[in-house]
Amino acid sequence: MTDAALCAAARHGDKRAIARLVSAFEDPRPQAAPRRAAILAALADRPIGRVVGLTGAPGVGKSTLVGALAGALLTAGERNVGVVAVDPSSPLTGGALLGDRTRVRFAGDDPRLYFRSQASGAIAGGVARATHQVCRLLTRLFATVIVETVGVGQGEIEIVRIADTTWLVVQPHGGDAIQFLKAGVMEVPDGFVISKGDLGSAAGATAATLTAALRLGAAARPVIVTSAVTGAGVAELAAAIAAGPRGRLIDREPYLFERWVADEYGRAGLRRLAAAAPSTAAYLAAGGGLDGAQLAFVAAEACRDGDPDPA
Amino acid sequence: MSSPPGSYQLTDATGAPSRDAPWIFRTYAGHSSPKASNALYRAGLERGQTGLSIAFDLPTQCGYSSDAPIARPEVGKVGVPINSLDDFHLLFDGIPLERMNTSMTINGTAMWLLALYVALARERGVAEAKLRGTIQNDIVKEYLARGTYIFPPEHSLRLIAETYEYCVDRLPEWNPSNVCSYHLQEAGATPVQEVGFALATAVGLLDRIKARGRIDAAAVARCVGRLSFFVNSGIRFVEEMCKMRAFAELWDELTRERYGVTDPKLRLFRYGVQVNSLGLTEPQPENNAWRILLEALGVTLSRKARCRALQLPAWNEAMSLPRPWDQQWALRLQQILAYETDLLEYPDLFDGNPAIAGKTASIVAGARAELDRIIAMGGVQAAVDAGYMKQALVRSMTERMARIGSGAQVVVGVNAWTDGLPSPLTGGDDGGRFSADPAAVDDALAALAATKARRDPARVAAALADLTAAAKRGDNLMEPSIACALARVTTGEWADALRAVFGEYRAITGVEGQSLELPPAQAAALRARVEAFAAAHGRRPRLVVGKPGLDGHSNGAEVIAVAARHAGWDVIYAGIRLAPDDIAVSAVEEDADLVGVSILSGSHLELTAQVIDGLRARGGGDIPVVVGGIVPKPDVARLEALGVRAVFTPADYDLAQVMSRMLDVVEGAAA
Repeated sequence: MTDAALCAAARHGDKRAIARLVSAFEDPRPQAAPRRAAILAALADRPIGRVVGLTGAPGVGKSTLVGALAGALLTAGERNVGVVAVDPSSPLTGGALLGDRTRVRFAGDDPRLYFRSQASGAIAGGVARATHQVCRLLTRLFATVIVETVGVGQGEIEIVRIADTTWLVVQPHGGDAIQFLKAGVMEVPDGFVISKGDLGSAAGATAATLTAALRLGAAARPVIVTSAVTGAGVAELAAAIAAGPRGRLIDREPYLFERWVADEYGRAGLRRLAAAAPSTAAYLAAGGGLDGAQLAFVAAEACRDGDPDPA
Repeated sequence: MSSPPGSYQLTDATGAPSRDAPWIFRTYAGHSSPKASNALYRAGLERGQTGLSIAFDLPTQCGYSSDAPIARPEVGKVGVPINSLDDFHLLFDGIPLERMNTSMTINGTAMWLLALYVALARERGVAEAKLRGTIQNDIVKEYLARGTYIFPPEHSLRLIAETYEYCVDRLPEWNPSNVCSYHLQEAGATPVQEVGFALATAVGLLDRIKARGRIDAAAVARCVGRLSFFVNSGIRFVEEMCKMRAFAELWDELTRERYGVTDPKLRLFRYGVQVNSLGLTEPQPENNAWRILLEALGVTLSRKARCRALQLPAWNEAMSLPRPWDQQWALRLQQILAYETDLLEYPDLFDGNPAIAGKTASIVAGARAELDRIIAMGGVQAAVDAGYMKQALVRSMTERMARIGSGAQVVVGVNAWTDGLPSPLTGGDDGGRFSADPAAVDDALAALAATKARRDPARVAAALADLTAAAKRGDNLMEPSIACALARVTTGEWADALRAVFGEYRAITGVEGQSLELPPAQAAALRARVEAFAAAHGRRPRLVVGKPGLDGHSNGAEVIAVAARHAGWDVIYAGIRLAPDDIAVSAVEEDADLVGVSILSGSHLELTAQVIDGLRARGGGDIPVVVGGIVPKPDVARLEALGVRAVFTPADYDLAQVMSRMLDVVEGAAA
């Protein structure tokens, strides 16, 4: 099947076609960039959907929440919802074991829901790169894209650089709230979810502590207690997300491009990028978008040191 | 030199030499339909079995009636389907309940099957107090290894506690549960893990009964006395015997110190055994007869730690369900051991032996540390929730597989002395395998339809409403369940009523955070192939692994998932107890390069066909499928005819070889 045919099928919700296209956006090889550009061009008439980041320590109940939240977003009137669940790759073998599907239960074969597991890749910044690329595609196909990532410290919640809004999930009694405060991570998310609200007063106490701590900060941010068991709070969270911003993914591209340059070519690469154009946004514009700019940068670097393959 | 008679032999009250009574001889059996299984039990009893051990099919174990769509491929496969009290009348036809000792391997629906048994006694006019036997009723190992849970732990544990509270006065000779370490060993547990985890499970149960406060202290002590165990016995039979002595020692200590039970009779460590199936081999299957004999010795030699009931698998268990002759052969082993040999004429043979004492002490110390660790984590339920025990088991299993793969652990006929003459045992027309009569399933469905047509719908509705109300109120559910049984409520209806109140449980997996050591040279070669694939296709090969159907034995799927990650694949673990369409959806959405399905229930043909149909219906017919499980040889060709690209059976113990063949498939498909 050609990419044009895949795009046509994907518009109608064909999951096989969507899945094939997602793989093109996960492809780390430079030759995949023009393919991505062509796919996005074929979908350019579509509005850009919302990216919602859901992050938190392992075991706080993110995956279980995602299942409930996706359903609640549909009930709240979203046209369709895509989910990307990111888990780390093994630095030793390069392989990954992605188990989130066992916890996310979608009702049957709902054509409005799409779930994809993603390995972060063994390289630093993997979340930003692979996840961002896939969001570029999925936001053209889905009204809301939920990205579930493991984030345990400030350096690891890269998702805020991609998402329109990011929610930090903590569990009652986890001590997470305190840990996050210490790590300075509290400054980062746009809202907080306290999971396992069925544990009763513990969740309420954690919410109170968190709300009090947040009052010390600047803008008021929501704290929502949810339970995937009873469904409590999930509709409230869906409503808050549905009322939030969408479509800003394209604004994030200069940062993500700089991040890519830094990963591949280091500080020296960043200096050469700064020298090549008045701003990163201008460099992207001159390259005809992110994919073209990446190809141009790879080519320029190859001329410089004779290394044709940055990966 | 001779000693006077009686000083070293068992004697009776008059001082004459005597023998111990043997343990109960059972055979784990049941398939197809209540009628077919009843014939099996009557034949077994005529051949000298002294108790019954009932195997239920997976729909019955998971709380579905035979006519539920998810149930259909599994009806009558691994045991007998029981849909209503009418089926129990057929199953026990001509078998006197008041003289029988009946063991039922049932867990998620244990309360329901006990309610059916009590209802059967009431309709036959047999006094409940005379009922003797066991329901397995241990949910912890279902979460850990076996997978036939229904409700979340809190509610499942409530049902178990309520069966104790009901039985303690009404069925004083019934064992309301068997704490099972059997399935832990099958899942790879070491002896220390087996003892530690089982005792932690028992402590969790007794602590709960005590904390509920529904019965007085004397009754709690009687509950301690009725708690029995179900244990595995492996091929290292000296160590296994020491394990049983360690079990008994720790149990005596726990019941005395933690529960203050003063009556030594109520502190006895009582256990039944099914010897190990994990170590039985498909290559040279006749060797299994010797393995089973040696494993039986481990739980019978030491009088102090001798089992109360024994059931032996058949030599061909790794190949298929046993035929009647295979079961008879296994039973004869028990009869020879108990009646021909002099085993039962002596007191304990091992007291005072330093090797036995030392080994036992080391297991006691290790198990006590394991038990303390779990109690410190907040008890067995917290340890299940945290995935602690599950991960420990998957680790032990992957280590075992690695030892067999490297030859460090010898398995005769598998990784040593593999050249053997063809076995005459498998030379008959049936190849030494059992095949069920597929028409028997129609009997079960017809009986279910007849029961539904005959019963009084108003009485059914009222009984189910009472059950629901009692579940919500927190009342003991035994009497409402018995009322349901008498009203001809079906298994699926009983479970559905409680699902509506309790919710359904989704298991944690044992696959996260696991490491596995494939032999380094082979691992490096596999990874090089994976890297070459990634360079050519822009991604690592993506494997979707899952278990369709109701069979919950997840070890095989988990080991494959962990090994593939080790070989550099991106593995999407889809989980267990999935509808075939769930796996097809996962494979399509994940853009899988390969789908691996694991099926141990015998339903591999139907379920695999449904997975492949599901893939085709979603445009994923080109995604290759491989199957792992207990697949008889003739079915391998049938699976290949369905389009399956490779079939892995217990003969494929070499994980590196399995990974290599999976890569062959993926490379072939992508080329």
